[in-house]
Amino acid sequence: MDNILNAAIVASLIWHVVLLGVALWRIMRGESPVDRLLGVELASVLILCALVLIALFTGQDLYMDVALVVAALSFIGTLALARYLADQRMF
Amino acid sequence: MDFTLKLILQAVALLAIVGGSLFSLIGVLGFIRLPDVYTRLHAAGKVSVFGALLLVVAAVALESLGVGKALVLIALLIIAGPAVSHALASAAYRTGVPMKRVERDDLAQARSAPLGPGLHGADSSADLPV
Repeated sequence: MDNILNAAIVASLIWHVVLLGVALWRIMRGESPVDRLLGVELASVLILCALVLIALFTGQDLYMDVALVVAALSFIGTLALARYLADQRMF
Repeated sequence: MDFTLKLILQAVALLAIVGGSLFSLIGVLGFIRLPDVYTRLHAAGKVSVFGALLLVVAAVALESLGVGKALVLIALLIIAGPAVSHALASAAYRTGVPMKRVERDDLAQARSAPLGPGLHGADSSADLPV
């Protein structure tokens, strides 16, 4: 069971990195600024998934802290940039 | 008894990892293939709510890596995902990103037609929230 679980974690980690590459390629060919901002948000969520999987793989608590910080900062950053795109000001 | 509990937790973690990977696949596939920004928002929201959340559930079930931090992360994901989707859809609508295959646009109708008297006042259609 441990072998199956380790294999699933590694396969899911590789899978999320591949999906991250696809999302970055889609950001490069975006149609509008909002489209690219949505791609950046999606990429940050995929990075969060990869960090949680690294925490599972190594068994270290530290990576969960990093995932928490990534979630908080991407939330604030995306909200500020969306408001800047719509209103031409942030606050 | 302890061995059985560990086996159940490992099975839950395996199911959560496979489910989270499938939700990530569906979300990124929709992000590539769907026609405009509004439908792409619908697909990308699935990754942030279900994909990441199931992986955090797997982390809790398998290693019990900081249950308090994982609960904070789950709450942050559940609150932040819909807020970000709403902000991006509002920004797209206000910067005039067109929709593909419009069936109806209730917001444009509500903005152009004045409201009935006594509902919100005479000229409140100008400052409707988006």
